[in-house]
Amino acid sequence: MTRRLSRSVIEPVNPKLNVSRNANLPHSPGIRVGEYIFLSGMGPVDPITGGRNLGPIAEQIRQTLRNMAHMLESGGSGLDRIVKINIVLGDIQHYDEMNRVWREFFPVDPPARTTCALQLSNGNGVEIECIALGAANIPESR
Amino acid sequence: MTLQRDVIAPKNPAFDMSRNLNLPLSSAIRAGAFIFVSGMVAIDPSSGERMHGTVAAETRQALIALAQVLEAAGSSLTKAVKINVLIYSMLEYNNMNEVYREFFPDEPPSRTVCGARLSGGSKVEIECIALA
Repeated sequence: MTRRLSRSVIEPVNPKLNVSRNANLPHSPGIRVGEYIFLSGMGPVDPITGGRNLGPIAEQIRQTLRNMAHMLESGGSGLDRIVKINIVLGDIQHYDEMNRVWREFFPVDPPARTTCALQLSNGNGVEIECIALGAANIPESR
Repeated sequence: MTLQRDVIAPKNPAFDMSRNLNLPLSSAIRAGAFIFVSGMVAIDPSSGERMHGTVAAETRQALIALAQVLEAAGSSLTKAVKINVLIYSMLEYNNMNEVYREFFPDEPPSRTVCGARLSGGSKVEIECIALA
């Protein structure tokens, strides 16, 4: 029994957060396959200006997670539907501070998670990607 | 019919990093046909604390921890479909592989290895997506 899954692109409702479109990058913000949503790595983009908020790391993480919530909600999902999340920090020294901010967004039953530090683009202090469950019964857009 | 999202905790509480290391993460989440496991580090099975050793030793303990979490979810290493290995230095790639191959003698999962800075002084961290 092989059911052929459909693949559709998910974009943020707020066009300022559509980084790949605005910066002409060859990736989609998110892809839905069946009931799973795969989001690209996201950074601290300002939802009003579309620029980067490269301030204190705690604020960068909050901004990124708010943007991720917006992306997921644009696809009919939400932070509480994330199953796996990957955090890439620019500096592993920010690990403890990241954990403090993390609890604000994931107070109960947090997603499975991996954290590491790597070289990031655009001067980002953080980049976060995730796999989430979508809600069922969302009409396929294409 | 919306897919359920279940938190998985290892049966041996020593391997529960979220509890022992007080981290805001779940060891694993079951969602539909898949299990998503957090990056597992080398854990001392008696104390639950991080173990520090050679890359070979840490790889072994991290894979033991990963196996424990998968088994708590009714899965196992043989059902792993994709594994990501993070090591603190790519110069240690072969040392990781020597131990790694003991755990996956045939039809090993697809895999990516990357050199990265890890938390808590760990040298190896291994995460996985497996079939439930």
